[in-house]
Amino acid sequence: MTRTPEDTTLEQRTTAPATAAAGPSRRRLGPAAVWQTVGPLAVFVALFALVSALNPAFLGGGLRILALQATTILLVALGQAMVLHVGSIDLSNAAMAILSAIVLAMTLGPLAAAAPLVCIALMTAVGAVNGALVAYAQVPSFALTLGTLGILQAAALVVSDATTVYVTANREVLAPLFGTAMVGLPAGFWVAVVLAVLLWVLLRSTRLGQALTAVGLNETGALFSGLRTRRLKVLAFALSGFLAGVAGVMIIAQAGAASSFGLGSDLLLPGIAAAIVGGTAITGGVTNPIGVVFGALTVALIPIAAAAVGVTPQAQSLVYGAAIMVAVALTMTRRNRGVVK
Amino acid sequence: MNPSTTNRAPTATLDPPTLRLSNVSKSFGATRAVDGVSLEIPRHEVVGLVGENGAGKSTLLKILTGLHQPDSGVIEAHGTAVRFRRPQDAVAAGIGVVHQEQSLLPNLSVAENIAMSAVASKDQATRFGFYRWRQLNREAAEVLGRVGADIDPRTKVGDLSFVDRQMVEIARALRVDEIVHVAPLVILDEPTSVLERDETDVLEREIRSLKKLGSVIFVSHRLDEVLRICDRIVVMRHGRLVADRRTDSVTEEELFRLMIGKESRAAGRPATGRAEAAQPVLEVEGLGRAGHFTDVSFALPPGHCLAIVGTLGSGREELVRAVYGAEPFDRGTVTIDGEPVRSWSVAAAVRKGVAYVPSERKVEGMVGGLTAAENMTLAHTPRHARRGPFVNRRSRARLAAEWFERLDVRPNDPMLHLDRFSGGNQQKVVMAKWLMAEDLRVLILDHPLRGLDPGAAETVNAQIRAAAQAGAAVVLIADTIEEALAMGDDILVMRDGEVTARYDLSVDSPTSLDLLGRMV
Repeated sequence: MTRTPEDTTLEQRTTAPATAAAGPSRRRLGPAAVWQTVGPLAVFVALFALVSALNPAFLGGGLRILALQATTILLVALGQAMVLHVGSIDLSNAAMAILSAIVLAMTLGPLAAAAPLVCIALMTAVGAVNGALVAYAQVPSFALTLGTLGILQAAALVVSDATTVYVTANREVLAPLFGTAMVGLPAGFWVAVVLAVLLWVLLRSTRLGQALTAVGLNETGALFSGLRTRRLKVLAFALSGFLAGVAGVMIIAQAGAASSFGLGSDLLLPGIAAAIVGGTAITGGVTNPIGVVFGALTVALIPIAAAAVGVTPQAQSLVYGAAIMVAVALTMTRRNRGVVK
Repeated sequence: MNPSTTNRAPTATLDPPTLRLSNVSKSFGATRAVDGVSLEIPRHEVVGLVGENGAGKSTLLKILTGLHQPDSGVIEAHGTAVRFRRPQDAVAAGIGVVHQEQSLLPNLSVAENIAMSAVASKDQATRFGFYRWRQLNREAAEVLGRVGADIDPRTKVGDLSFVDRQMVEIARALRVDEIVHVAPLVILDEPTSVLERDETDVLEREIRSLKKLGSVIFVSHRLDEVLRICDRIVVMRHGRLVADRRTDSVTEEELFRLMIGKESRAAGRPATGRAEAAQPVLEVEGLGRAGHFTDVSFALPPGHCLAIVGTLGSGREELVRAVYGAEPFDRGTVTIDGEPVRSWSVAAAVRKGVAYVPSERKVEGMVGGLTAAENMTLAHTPRHARRGPFVNRRSRARLAAEWFERLDVRPNDPMLHLDRFSGGNQQKVVMAKWLMAEDLRVLILDHPLRGLDPGAAETVNAQIRAAAQAGAAVVLIADTIEEALAMGDDILVMRDGEVTARYDLSVDSPTSLDLLGRMV
């Protein structure tokens, strides 16, 4: 297999915790459990190798472009994974990311370095409201966030006056995110990876994370064990909002402008797909944020790969769809042990 | 042929047995769940199958019903060797089963569920693939009538009570004799563990009439029932068949010993010290909830056990759930350690040291996808098992290992997902979860021994007594009146949401008939 030095570094960095995940608590790992841990990585490496073999030129700067593309998808996917982890879904987080970007583009001039923090705080609050409505008003998350999606899209159109909003001043505040490279990849990507690692630690090693897992696996059982299940759901949605806010910052850092056209639809489904390709169970309770990193890389790689190997533009969404199906089939977490006892 | 014969030699020579197993084994990984079992079920015989949780009974039954394939051994039905690759194969061989865990579809009607058995399409239930509703409902009503259950076949199963669902399940298994024209074998996997006494009587009658048609395998943890109903009893332990006795040649004591390999049941409850002067741990004053229970009051000093008896629908489940904060109440007060509770919720109750062992263990009592160790620390994480917001894995593992030792949980692996354990062992873990509390004040138990084998039941009972001795107040909804009388210091009798009698067992000594009279 041909690999760039960057590739190897990335792998070493991220597989270390991923294998530790299989460490003390599940000692006898069956093949299924091993695959659950390394599947997302393996699928990404295989796809990357395939693209590099078909088009060696891709090795030139491909990984850097890929990391650039994957950053926002990764952040949105991490938020989605946290919501899926408690057994809900957040259809509004991509729209939150766009709204965050638009607000940031408009406020970066007057507020300078405070603007990103304001945007992130704002989106965290929006996420928390989502969570509160799901948890306390008992609205199913699918329906509720579909509604919030519409509201946020409308808000984005109104705030931006339905045009593309450009950053007018203080753009240099965000320059380090994609202007500097660490180990060959943009700093912004590493920020997202660090957030993934923090979430991994949260789920893996804290009592809070264990409580979130319990809610996702069996909400009634968690409730009857005295866990504050509603607050935990609010927390998951707030995290999704937080990460969407950060994703908005990344959009502005990359492009210097945000547009309300498309309204985040190019981010919503890739975000969900990346979470699932990363091994997140849509039924809840099974999430590996490190896996989601590779899920996002895979999802971002597919269109780049299609273009790199010369798929005609007309066929690209077909290739994208087919590749997503294969990736999900390979990495999705299946829980059917209820039948085989 | 005389159906009531107890001598099976002549039947065996005239007729091949309904079922014969020779040296059947089944392993899961390193565990031999069923180990070289040979067994013969002749016609017109009721065979009791007993054993502790995890003894291999369920696996054996799953082999007989086509859910598992044996690794080795031969199964013969009516004298011909068979292989059950799917549940339908077993039904075609005349084997009907009532599962321990209910397998009805709650969103369909009773009649549909009864017709849903694997070979329904062979009979007259459908025409051109459409249900013939009138016929379906008539047949369902008829088979329900046979088990003495008065249930409208058009009711949705989800709207039925647990007991009615069990009756439907039994009725469905009985239909196998109409479908298959061979002598049927009906397997009843703990059908009585949730039935009340009079319903058990109905079932007993049904089993006797079933015996005239074919044979029955009866699995139960209630040894007295097994002795009353069965002609022959086989005992499993650690996957092996350790005894095969005629009922008249075995006693309950002996069966118990064969099952657990231990000497005998512990003697009765030790006299609990009555601290009358002590401040009540739990006081319930005029508690009511419209349509469920009204004006319930009681006070429990530390170490006291209150057993609440009543039939289904007496409101006792709703009452204890209200005390736990899991369901609302609209009048009255709950006071814990002298402090009336406000904005009551489960989370608030747990923080005050209230614990609840629910009857719906799998749904409410545990999180099956977490490990046993994680489940144990779900409600209370003892200080040494945490480090700030982090879990101290090593000391949690040590803690779980200690509790596994103390409660004799098997398999002895706290890192296994809890849904991999058998029911009795899961219940031990659920108990451990609450006993882990640094200050357990009130322990509420709803059918804590349901579906447990005698060994596990003894362990759980011992833990309940230990919690009481450590100063917790215990509220118990028992499986049987006898259990309530054995465990309780006080008895509260409920009927239709009202308290009809209360007894202080240090003064009164009511018989079970006294209690029954106040219940119905």
